[in-house]
Parts: sequence; structure tokens; C-alpha cells
Amino acid sequence: MRIAVLMPAFNEEGRLARTLDDLAGAIPSTDHVCVFLVDDGSAPAIDEKALRAAAPGLRIVVARHAVNLGQGAALETARRLALEPRWQPGEGPFEAFVTMDSDGQHRGSDVLALAGAIAAGADVALGDRFAGGSAVPRSRRALLAFARAFERATTGLRLSDVHNGLRAFGPRAIASMRIRQNRMAHATELSRSISRASAERAKDDQLTVVEVPVSVRYSDESLAKGQSASGAITIVVDLFHGFLFSDGRGPR
Amino acid sequence: MMQAEVTPAAIALVGLLAALFLHDFVTLQRNRRLLLVQLVVFAGGAWLIVYPEVARRLAHFVGIGRGVDFVLYPLVIWLVRESLLSRRRRHEEQERVTELVRAMATSGAYELAGAVAEPATDHSSKRAPAHSSAVAASCTE
Repeated sequence: MRIAVLMPAFNEEGRLARTLDDLAGAIPSTDHVCVFLVDDGSAPAIDEKALRAAAPGLRIVVARHAVNLGQGAALETARRLALEPRWQPGEGPFEAFVTMDSDGQHRGSDVLALAGAIAAGADVALGDRFAGGSAVPRSRRALLAFARAFERATTGLRLSDVHNGLRAFGPRAIASMRIRQNRMAHATELSRSISRASAERAKDDQLTVVEVPVSVRYSDESLAKGQSASGAITIVVDLFHGFLFSDGRGPR
Repeated sequence: MMQAEVTPAAIALVGLLAALFLHDFVTLQRNRRLLLVQLVVFAGGAWLIVYPEVARRLAHFVGIGRGVDFVLYPLVIWLVRESLLSRRRRHEEQERVTELVRAMATSGAYELAGAVAEPATDHSSKRAPAHSSAVAASCTE
């Protein structure tokens, strides 16, 4: 299977190499995997030698934002790169597009599980960390419960896990997943796009969405970098600004 | 007939206007036109401060109780609108910057040398220069 992994990275240092190492270890040789790694203005910049050493067999395309824009912007850059003809594998275009965090919280084997769901016919496969037996810290659970209620109310998508960075899209779905929210509100924006596309009026245009159990590893480092309650307020403000000012025209 | 009302507040406010103008006159010297506009607006403000009866009569004429309110109401409306407009401008500016940074990132994207997906290809072990399109082309196979 031909899989594009969309991976934003910002100041991940050693965690990034470990993530790629884990990913490289999980991929069978029959699969063609290309990581679209977007360095979102890390300082110091990503250490390529360490990456190469960590994952010698992995195909990695690197792009670098000159300034830090946010995770949503980096994901969108990765998405556009993965759709560019020049990076397509020789055997044909990518069959699955998997978004993945670069801090080691997602497992390489789960990337394959999500891509497998796409191969089995789903258009969108979303990681569900609660079904996957992850040790989700209590503070996280409360925040995620709030996020889930917010998502349900604003997007209409009934998911057991929201704001999980591990998702997979088929070629048909990825085309309509344009991200305009530069920062953390992109997760809600994606849910909304998925919700809208799964409720298309014409049956042929409807996307099928499945949830796949995945496990998320929480480390102190990733928790410190992750979202806090004040981040939730920023997200709501960003969404409101997007609602007010993004009228669908904008640049491209 | 109209009496100048030189209260301590009036002195303080006019003093503030004068100080601000003096400051801008020193720092913005090259932009004479802007200074001229500022001078006219500030002089108008100072006049309203020293002769509040002007604003008071205008206010009564249009049915507003106080002269101050006659000046404040339009000012508040203008400020609210200005704040919304500048937020929108900032949002659009940010979208432009995003697209610019993204365009730079995608045009400078390169494949990390040394990938072993296709062993036959000759990937040099050197780090690819960020702007090399030749390297980009070689990755399509």
C-alpha cells in the first residue's frame, strides 16, 4: 500500500527521531511509505543527520516554514505537498494519507491500522484512544470530554475521541480537507469538514467515517507541550475569528 | 458671548494635546502632511475643550443632553468599527503570510538523501540544497 504520512514538527528535538524510528520499524517492506515532514520553524532547525540515522530506510520529504505558523498550518503544508505530482511514488498515487504527531505519542503500528481501514473502503479513519487502552491522564480526560461535547454541538459529528492527531484519509477525502485554521483549532475545523462531507446529500459524494482503536502514549514532555485549558479558550476565539472573517474566498 | 471655561481639567487636557503634538512634531518631522491634519484635529479638540458651550449648544440642537456626549457617541461608534476592521485586516494579513511561508516551504521542499526505497537510484549522500528542483525531480522516479 502507498501511504503518505503528514507530520508537523515544532521543536521536537529527540522525540522526532524516536517517532520516525518507531514508524520505520512498523512498516513492512511491501508498503511504500513517504513521510511529509513539515518543520514549523523549529529553533534550532530539525537535525537531519539524526533523522537519517534514526530511520535510514524511510522516505522523508522535508519542508520548512521560515517562521512558526502553528500545527494547523504545518499540516496543511504537508497535505499540499503530499498531493503534489512530483512526490508521488512511481507505482501510482498515494492510497492513504495519515496525519500523525511527531512527539512520539502515536505508534507506527497504528498508522498502518488506520491505513488498513482506508484500504478496506473507508474514506476517513479516526484514531480512538479510549478504545485503544491508552492510559489517558485524568486532567486530559476532563478536557477531552469538554472538547467532545463542543465538537458534537458545533460539528454534528458523534465521535468517541476528538482532537486526536492520528487520522487517515483516502484520496477522495483528502482533497476536501483544506485547513484554514493555523493553530490548534484545525482539529475542530477538520471534524467539521468530515461531518459535512459525511452528510452530503448525494449518496455518491458521502464519505464513510470509521473509528479505529489506537493507543496514545503520554509522556511528561508531550503533556507539557500539549493543550491546556487556556488553549481551549484560544481555540474557541480562533474558531470565532475564522467564522467572522474567513468568507471562503481568501487566498486560494 | 461664549465664555472660555478654563478649568483645571481643561488645562490638563489641552496640555496633553500640546505635548502629544510636540512629541509627534519632533518624531514625525518628515511627514508634514500628517502633522498638518493632526494639528487641525487637535486644534478642533482644544477649542471644544476650552469652549464647551459650542458642543453643548450643538448637542441640545440635536436632542442630546450633554455636550460631551455629542462628541463621545460618534467616537465610540467609530472606535468599535475600527477595532473590527483592524481585526479583519490582521486576519487577512495572517492568511497572506501563511500562504507566503507555505509557498516558500513547498518550493524548497526536498527529499532527505539516502532513502533506500529504490536501491538503484543514485541519491548523493550530501544534504540537498533547499532550492534544488533537480533534486526534487529525481525523487519522482
